[in-house]
Amino acid sequence: MTDYKETGILSLDDIKKPSEDRLKKGPVVVIECVENIPCDPCVAACPKDAISMDEITDIPSIDFDGCIGCALCVTECPGLAIFVVDCTSDPCTITVPYEYLPVPEKGEKVFALDREGKRVQVSKVVRVRSSGKTYGITLEVDRENIWKVRGLEVKR
Amino acid sequence: MTVMICRCEDITEEEILEAISQGYTEIEPLKRRLRIGMGQCQGKTCIPLVERILARERCKKPEDMDEPTARPPSRQVSFGLLAGDRDE
Amino acid sequence: MEDKRIREHPVLEFERGHEIHFDFEGEEVKAYKGETIAAALYANGLVKFTESKHHHRPRGFFCAIGKCSSCIMTVNGIPHVRTCVTPVEEGMKVKRHGALPEFPKEVPPSSPEAKESKVDIAVVGGGPAGLSAAIIAAQHGADVHLFDEGDHQGGQLVKQTHQFFGSHLEEAGTRGIDLAEDLLREAKKAGVNLHPGTTVLGYYPEKTLAVESKNGLEIYHTKGIVYATGAVENYLAFENNDLPGIYGAGGVQTLMNEYGIIPGEKVLMIGSGNVGLIVGYQLLQAGVDVVEVIEAMPNFGGYQVHASKLRRAGVPISTAHTIKKALGTDRVEGAVVHVLDEDWQPVPGTERELECDVICIAVGLHPDNQFVRQAGAEMKYVRELGGFVPIRTEDMETTVEGVFVAGDSAGIEEATVAALEGKLVGCALVERLFGTSDEISDMKEDIKAGIEQMRKGPYGEYPRRGVKLCTLDEEVC
Ligand code: SF4
Ligand code: SF4
Ligand code: FES
Repeated sequence: MTDYKETGILSLDDIKKPSEDRLKKGPVVVIECVENIPCDPCVAACPKDAISMDEITDIPSIDFDGCIGCALCVTECPGLAIFVVDCTSDPCTITVPYEYLPVPEKGEKVFALDREGKRVQVSKVVRVRSSGKTYGITLEVDRENIWKVRGLEVKR
Repeated sequence: MTVMICRCEDITEEEILEAISQGYTEIEPLKRRLRIGMGQCQGKTCIPLVERILARERCKKPEDMDEPTARPPSRQVSFGLLAGDRDE
Repeated sequence: MEDKRIREHPVLEFERGHEIHFDFEGEEVKAYKGETIAAALYANGLVKFTESKHHHRPRGFFCAIGKCSSCIMTVNGIPHVRTCVTPVEEGMKVKRHGALPEFPKEVPPSSPEAKESKVDIAVVGGGPAGLSAAIIAAQHGADVHLFDEGDHQGGQLVKQTHQFFGSHLEEAGTRGIDLAEDLLREAKKAGVNLHPGTTVLGYYPEKTLAVESKNGLEIYHTKGIVYATGAVENYLAFENNDLPGIYGAGGVQTLMNEYGIIPGEKVLMIGSGNVGLIVGYQLLQAGVDVVEVIEAMPNFGGYQVHASKLRRAGVPISTAHTIKKALGTDRVEGAVVHVLDEDWQPVPGTERELECDVICIAVGLHPDNQFVRQAGAEMKYVRELGGFVPIRTEDMETTVEGVFVAGDSAGIEEATVAALEGKLVGCALVERLFGTSDEISDMKEDIKAGIEQMRKGPYGEYPRRGVKLCTLDEEVC
C-alpha cells in the first residue's frame, strides 16, 4: 500500500496529470480521488462527459481533451477532491472547493494552503462560485505552486 | 486508575477482572454477579467490551463466545408504565 | 452565561424555536423550543449531568440518542428521564438525582389498560432503512406504523451535513439532512403512521409488538415487523474513559448538527474510519479545532478523499497510535497518547500529552439488534458486519417468519445500502401482503443490483464477505 494511506496526503505520482500540451491550452480538471470507492457524482456533474466510469466503484477516468475547465464538477464532488488548474496566464489560477466560514470575497487576499494545510503563499481570490453550500474559489497562484496549492485559509 | 466498562451500572475493568478470577468466566454469571449489562442501555455499550475482556483473559475469540440472552422488555420501562401495570 | 450554540455555519441553518425558560436546580435556564433538555443544558455549559452510582464518578452528556444512561435526571418529579431525547418545555423543573432517585410522588397519567390494534406492518426505527421500507409498503396500500424513540425521525441521517457518496441515482451528492427530510416527506405522503417518541418494549409471539407511547402501553398485532434499529457505537476501554467530555461520534454529531451546539473547543478524534474522518471535518466546519486524529491501525481506515480534507486543513492523522488515558478530574483536560508496535504493544518513550477538552470516540459501530434477538431470530457473529447479526434470507427475513431486518441492525454498512435494504424489505412485505406482481419483482431485482454495485471495490469487500456468511440460500426457506 502506498504512503497516502498512512499520511492522508497524495503525492504527485498518485495523481493523473494533464499533459504539458493540454495545460497550455486552457483550464483543465485535476481529480485527486485515487481509490475504488462507491461514488460517482462527478460523472453526472460534467456537461462535456469528460469524466466517466463503468462501475460506481471505478476511479474516475478523465478525458483531459474533452474537459473545458468549467469547474462545475468542483462543487459537486462530496470528497472535495476536484480542482481546476489554469496555467495559461501568469500567475496561474487554481479553483479549489471550500466549505468553511467565512467565505472569501472576490479580490480578497487569502493564504493558499498545500495538502498538509501549510501556508504556501498569499493569493488573490479572482472568482467565487457556488453550488448549494459548496463554493469553488479561484485563486491566483505562482506557477511553481500550482501543484502544491490545494486549499485556502481566510486571512481576516 | 479507573477504566469504566459498564457506564450504566458503574462497573470497572478491575471489578470484572476480580470477578473473573473468582470464577465468573461467562457472560451470564458475570451479569448476575455484577449486574453488568443490566443497566439503562441494556448492555449495548458494555457487553462488547466485556466479551473482549473475557476473550482476552481466556484467550477465546469473540465469535466463540456465548451470545448474551435477550428478554423483554428490551428497553427500560418508565416508572409510570410499571406503576400503571401494577394497578391492573 | 456560556453559550455553546452555533450561530453561523457554512452548511447548516439552525431553525431554533422561540426562546423558553426552564428551571434547573433552582436556576433559570434559557432554551429554544425544539431542543432537548440535555442539549439546552449542555449549551449553557453544564458538564456534569449525573454521578455514577457506586464510584460517584461525574457523568456528562454522552450518546445523545437515548441509548445510554448518562443524562438521566428527574423531570417534573419523574426520575430516570433520558433528558437527551426529551424535548424541553416552558417551566419544566429539572434536577439531577443522586445514585438512588426518589420514587415519584405522582404517577404520570398512564392508562392501565393496554390499547390493542391490528395493523399490517410495524417498522421499528425511523432511519433511512426503516423509512424506506415503510414508504414502499405504504405506497402499495399497506397500513404501516413506524416507531421511533426520538422526536426527530430520520435516524442518524439528520446529522449528516456532508453530501452523500454513492450513485447519483441513489441520492449521492445530497446531504444526509436533506435526504432525511425527503424521506420523511415521502413517508407522510405515502400515509405511513409515524409514532415519534415511542419506546418499543418487546416482541411477543405471532408478530405482536408492545410499545410505550405518550398514551401508555399499546399492543400492535401485525402481519409483518421490520427491525431497522440501527447501530450502537463501540466504546473504548482506557483510563478515565468515562470523564465528561468523552463522547461517541454520534453524540457529537447530534449535538453539533442537529442542535447546533459545539461539543467543546479542542477535540481529539480517536478512530479514522469514515465516521471519524467525516465528524472531524464537520467539527472544523463548526469552527472547532481538531487537534489530532489517532488510529491504532498502521493505515487510516476511511476514504482517502475524507482524510485529505482534514489534512488540507492542517489536522494531523497519527496512525499506529492509541490513547492511554484521559487527563482531568471533573472533565477532560487532555489526553496521553502513544505509538503501538506491530504486536499492539506500547512503544516505550513515545508517550505524549495533548491538550483537548473533548475526546471523540469513533472506533466503529455494532448492530443494535437486541429487539430482533429478543424476537427469537437466530443470530450469528459476523466480524465483517460489526458483531452479532440476524441470519436472513436474500429478502432480509430473519429465521422468525414475518420478522425482517434492514440497515445497520442487519450489519454495518453505508447509509445508501441501508436505504436500499429498507426498500427491498418494503417490496418483500408488499409481496407477502398482496401477492407478487411484475412491478414488485422488477423493483426487487433493481434494488438487489444496486446493493451489489455498492458492495464492489475494496471497501465493499468486508460487507460482501460478511453478508455471504449470514444469508441463507433462497431455496432453503
Ligand atoms: S471542469 Fe467542467 S468540463 Fe472539465 S471535467 Fe469538470 S465539469 Fe467536466
Ligand atoms: S465525486 Fe469526487 S469523490 Fe466521488 S468519485 Fe468523483 S472525484 Fe471521487
Ligand atoms: S453500559 Fe453496561 S448496561 Fe449500559
